[in-house]
Amino acid sequence: MLLSLVLHGVIVVITLMSWQWITPLEEPPEPSISARLVSPEAVPPEETTAPPPQPEPDEPAPVEEEQREQQEEEQRRLEQEQERQRREEAEREEQERLEQQRREQQAAAEERERQAREEEAARERAEAEAEERARRQAEEERKAREEAERKAEEERQRQEQQRREEEERRRQEEERQRQEEERRRQEEAERQRQERARQQREQQLEQMAREAEEARLAEQRRREQAAAARARETEMQNERARYVSLIGQAIENQWYPPSSAREGMSVVLRLTLLPNGELQSVDVVESSGNRAFDNSAVSAARAIREYPVPDSRDTFERYFRQFTIQFEPEI
Amino acid sequence: MTATNQAPASGRTRQYGPVALVLLVAALMLATTANAELMIRVTKGTGEAVPVAVVPFAESGDLPAGDDISTIVRNNLEMTGEFTPLSAERMLSLPSSGDDVFFRDWRMLGQRYLLVGNVTREGDRVRARYELFDVNSEQRMLGETSTTSVNNLRTLAHHISDKVYEALTGEPGVFSTRLAYVTLDEHEGSPRYRLQISDVDGRRASVRLESREPIMSPAWSPDGKQLAYVSFESGRPEIFVHELATGKRTVVASYPGLNSAPDWSPDGRSLLVTLSRSGNAEIYRLDLDSRSLTRLTDHWGIDTEGEWHPDGDGLAFTSDRSGGPQIYIKDSERASPRRVTFGSRYNARPRFSPDGEYIYYVHQRDSGFHIARTELDSGDEQVLTRTGSDESPSIAPNGRMLIYATRQGNDNVLTVISTNGGAAYTLPAANGDVRDPAWSPVLR
Repeated sequence: MLLSLVLHGVIVVITLMSWQWITPLEEPPEPSISARLVSPEAVPPEETTAPPPQPEPDEPAPVEEEQREQQEEEQRRLEQEQERQRREEAEREEQERLEQQRREQQAAAEERERQAREEEAARERAEAEAEERARRQAEEERKAREEAERKAEEERQRQEQQRREEEERRRQEEERQRQEEERRRQEEAERQRQERARQQREQQLEQMAREAEEARLAEQRRREQAAAARARETEMQNERARYVSLIGQAIENQWYPPSSAREGMSVVLRLTLLPNGELQSVDVVESSGNRAFDNSAVSAARAIREYPVPDSRDTFERYFRQFTIQFEPEI
Repeated sequence: MTATNQAPASGRTRQYGPVALVLLVAALMLATTANAELMIRVTKGTGEAVPVAVVPFAESGDLPAGDDISTIVRNNLEMTGEFTPLSAERMLSLPSSGDDVFFRDWRMLGQRYLLVGNVTREGDRVRARYELFDVNSEQRMLGETSTTSVNNLRTLAHHISDKVYEALTGEPGVFSTRLAYVTLDEHEGSPRYRLQISDVDGRRASVRLESREPIMSPAWSPDGKQLAYVSFESGRPEIFVHELATGKRTVVASYPGLNSAPDWSPDGRSLLVTLSRSGNAEIYRLDLDSRSLTRLTDHWGIDTEGEWHPDGDGLAFTSDRSGGPQIYIKDSERASPRRVTFGSRYNARPRFSPDGEYIYYVHQRDSGFHIARTELDSGDEQVLTRTGSDESPSIAPNGRMLIYATRQGNDNVLTVISTNGGAAYTLPAANGDVRDPAWSPVLR
């Protein structure tokens, strides 16, 4: 009863408040709309927030006229609005007074009904409370049991979770260790690879160094040999010149040019000697055409028992193993 | 002696340092890179006579004494001045054929050539077999068997000499040629001039003309069958041509005045003669068939002793047109004479060498008269004799020997020398003075 009364009161209040609020909002003044309609072209739609443009200097009168008419219109409308609001206020006050009377009557009736209902309600409430207590107790017991079960379950789940986590940790640990192991293995492999590469590089460097050293030694040997060869060559040339002179002298001492020998005659003999200077063979390779002249030369070559030849075998082999003698008298 | 690719002598190197260095480097490069066979040049010999051993020929049968073939050969070779024969006493063995020769022996003796042979009498004929060896080559150079009559051994010996000489020197020997000369002696209180002909060694001389009047200037015809000479037998000089085989004599020039100094042209058809028919001694060409004369000189000086150039083109003669006697040459009959001897007041009696390269003549120096020669191309003069009163040079047909007359004690003798100035060989003394030798051409 009381509750319904309260509820009604609340409804009335809300209704009143709604009325108060809605009325002024039914016809809100909209001055800005009419103003915009007067000169729609002067204000670009995209510049609505911007300040209104300056009036054109050659058309000032029409704009001011328009504004003044608008203000007068606005004034008339406001006065009409105020008149209407005063009438509505008087009507509303009358209504409220009638309503107040009616509510006071209704409230006396409702108070009686309410007391009856309160008694009934108290009794029902006591029953309900007893019932409620029993139910609550049973509920509490059930809750306690469920709580215990829940906790047991939670504990189990917690343990399970713990176990899984433990398992996961172990697995992760193992994975980590495995990865670590793999990493170490790879690192080791890499280290060994690098070591091998380093050793290989070292070996290569050593090899290169060895080769460079060998090349250097070979070059040195080559230079020394070349120098020795040059020296030997010079020596051989000297020996050659010396023995050419000696052999030439020996031949001169043995050559009896025949009386038919003339200037311009020439016979060329090829001599082959043994290393001890003994004549092995002599051949006429270019005859003079004069047999006696040729013979005299051959005889001279054969007359020498032992040719002066160098002791060094290579000089002998190069120059004196076989050589030619040209007999060309200068008479 | 020089060697190709050889560096210049050290003195030269100092003088021409940079050039020599370049040459040396070039020579070394040539020697090393081209690796050409070494060649040694020899441009002169010993300059000495060739040692040759002529082994006395083995003889079988009765042979004339004094005509030992090997001795004649040995003397002939020695006379040339080109050989020094080994004396028989030094020989280690006396082989008579190649089968008996031990070359080592002859090498030890330093011999270059070896002649061995044997002579066998077969009735009236003699057979000679001989072989010539080169000792060092141990090779036979010559081998021949010849026969001749017993009386002709000398001819055979000269033939062998010629063969050996040609084998050794490459030039024909002249040992079978003859000499013509004039001797003067006294006979029955009168001078006796005799034109004689002998072997080149002076042996087997035979008299072809005898006269109380002078005989001068014998000259051989190119075929060796005739002699031309000047004889005063008629009391005045005349030029005769004497046919040796028959003894037929012909006067070919008997002009007033001087008729002298005949010389045969190389073709044998004319003589150069000196005539003074114009009052002055001039040289003429006398055609033997037509007896026509062509005057070749025309000068107020004395022009005489003309000799044909060996190729028949031009002549040499003696002229005193420059004051004293000098040798002039006309390169052709019409050419102007050019003087070729200088440096002495007296150069006369010109004789060409067979190759025409030299002119030989009598040359006065230091109050003596010598035989000299001038090389015509270079003008180089070389005095060949030292004996002092040398005259009448005559050249052997091979040009290797020269005979001339000279004084030996109180006698005039003939001497043979090598034209290169080698050893002299005096012919055996004839009776009295010997003069005007003339060497024959090679007789066919």
